[in-house]
Amino acid sequence: MTFNELTKRIFMTEILKGMALTLKTMFTKPVTRQYPEEKREALPGFRGLHALVRKSDSSLRCVGCGLCAAICPSRCISIYTSEGVDHTKVVDRYEVEVLKCLFCGFCVEACPFGAVVLTEHFEYSDYSREALFMTKEKLLNNWDKFMAGKKGEQYFEKYWRPLAEDFGTPENQPVLKNRRAD
Amino acid sequence: MATAQKKLKKELTINLGPQHPSTHGVLRLVLDLDGETVVKCTPHVGYLHRGTEKLGENSTYLSAMPLMDRLDYVSSMTNDVAYCLAVERLFGIMAPERAQYIRTIVSEMTRISSHILWLGTHALDIGAMTVFLYSFREREWILDLFEMLCGARLTVSYPRIGGVRNDVSQEFIDSLYKFTAEFPARILEYETLIDQNRIWLQRTKGIGVISAEEAINWGLSGPTLRGSGVTYDIRKHFPYDAYDKVDFDVPVGQHGDVYDRYRCRMEEMRQSIRIIRQCLEKLPRGPVMAPDAPKLTLPAKEKVLADMESMIHHFVLITKGPMTGQSGEVYSAIEAPKGELGIYFVSDGTGKPYRMRLRSPSFVHVSALPRLSEGALVADVIANIGSVDVVLGECDR
Ligand code: SF4
Ligand code: SF4
Repeated sequence: MTFNELTKRIFMTEILKGMALTLKTMFTKPVTRQYPEEKREALPGFRGLHALVRKSDSSLRCVGCGLCAAICPSRCISIYTSEGVDHTKVVDRYEVEVLKCLFCGFCVEACPFGAVVLTEHFEYSDYSREALFMTKEKLLNNWDKFMAGKKGEQYFEKYWRPLAEDFGTPENQPVLKNRRAD
Repeated sequence: MATAQKKLKKELTINLGPQHPSTHGVLRLVLDLDGETVVKCTPHVGYLHRGTEKLGENSTYLSAMPLMDRLDYVSSMTNDVAYCLAVERLFGIMAPERAQYIRTIVSEMTRISSHILWLGTHALDIGAMTVFLYSFREREWILDLFEMLCGARLTVSYPRIGGVRNDVSQEFIDSLYKFTAEFPARILEYETLIDQNRIWLQRTKGIGVISAEEAINWGLSGPTLRGSGVTYDIRKHFPYDAYDKVDFDVPVGQHGDVYDRYRCRMEEMRQSIRIIRQCLEKLPRGPVMAPDAPKLTLPAKEKVLADMESMIHHFVLITKGPMTGQSGEVYSAIEAPKGELGIYFVSDGTGKPYRMRLRSPSFVHVSALPRLSEGALVADVIANIGSVDVVLGECDR
């Protein structure tokens, strides 16, 4: 054991260094959020509770094609349709068992009409299963509550409706701003 | 006299887990103890069995992907990449270059997040509380980046067969670049806390030693194997995505003990930062979904209602899966943060795999626990569980 090692051992330098670090951290701003009081907005495009899109004439945009139910990995969407007047398809029931959902967002990608969305709302815990069984009315309500107005439009434009040209790269994309000369 | 002798000979059998906090999930070990020494260690797995393989065989290639997130839930991105790569290899398509770079970036981010979670919990098991708090601070940053990228923090479902779901934004790139600039200093902080700490050294040095030859024979992989000095890394030996276009080193240990495995993972985080930086700087332009695989990738949404062919592909792909008609089999493996994550597919040409088999590193690593722990002290069992880095979601599947 060299002299250096010996002094390190006696004076516990490594432990003191660690202590100094923790002491220093005491004077920095805490990073913890006091969650229920202090909330953070979910980032745009967050995959939270479902909603069904309401058209401007306040009717349902969904046509009942069933693609969302077909791709759903946990099979938690059920759709019941019937034939209406002038042979149109009427969506009688559209139900999502939220407790089974994985929030993968595949239903949104599968829907050719952009009729189902995942909102940014994630604090929906409840005491009963019924409260988390989303019927058509509840889903439409979710749209009114969380997505109506500008937000819904933005959602489709910016994030959830990858257009063909979106797959191209915007000009000057990969260029790093503050790139260092190393 | 006789009773005293009898007492001495009796072994004590205790149950470690499945609810023990230091077993990282629902691992159950039955330990036969002679005093404080472990005579026999028997792992019991299966408490988190969800039948992922069978579920995968019953859903289409497309819709089975979110199940992969739930294997190793702390590194869901690499699981998805493994799955998508396997399907791509099975049907012989390639993701475009930009998507490959993005996948490399997110895989390395996942490696960092998985390793800092491992560091925090492993240190916590051994008794160092502060590291845990610091490492979660950085993990949060990565999870925020994931949220920005794809709208989910943990179970991301971001890669897709033939590419990735959406392109990265400038905001994401900037924030990630800032992260790569700041993170090395944070690694130094963790190291200040434990690297030379005498308690840490005593708890990890010379514990759970496994030689290179034995480690290979036990089938270990990832940092657990490299801690024993074997330079085997799938990213180097069988490069996938953009790993052959970036420059990085594979850190190895010498002694094959808990400390060397710890060192390996710390160095790996530095290498990950290097890889991310290079990828960000080289990121090519172009599409992020394979444009020439209409039978495997969903068409752009605006086309679905405008173009007959796209609409048919869209409907068939969603309801029946990719009807390629190609049969065959493939084994494809990637370097997940925990080790070699392999997926074996047998296709009979329909939209669902005929057989899906997962080779998960955690399962193999759990099987090596008796080898590492027998003859050691009870306290070292905890250090060993931490150092082989198991996640039971992946082990039990
Ligand atoms: S998010 Fe995924 S699991 Fe949930 S309803 Fe949609 S497709 Fe099904
Ligand atoms: S939500 Fe979309 S995919 Fe689902 S049934 Fe309605 S229109 Fe079809």
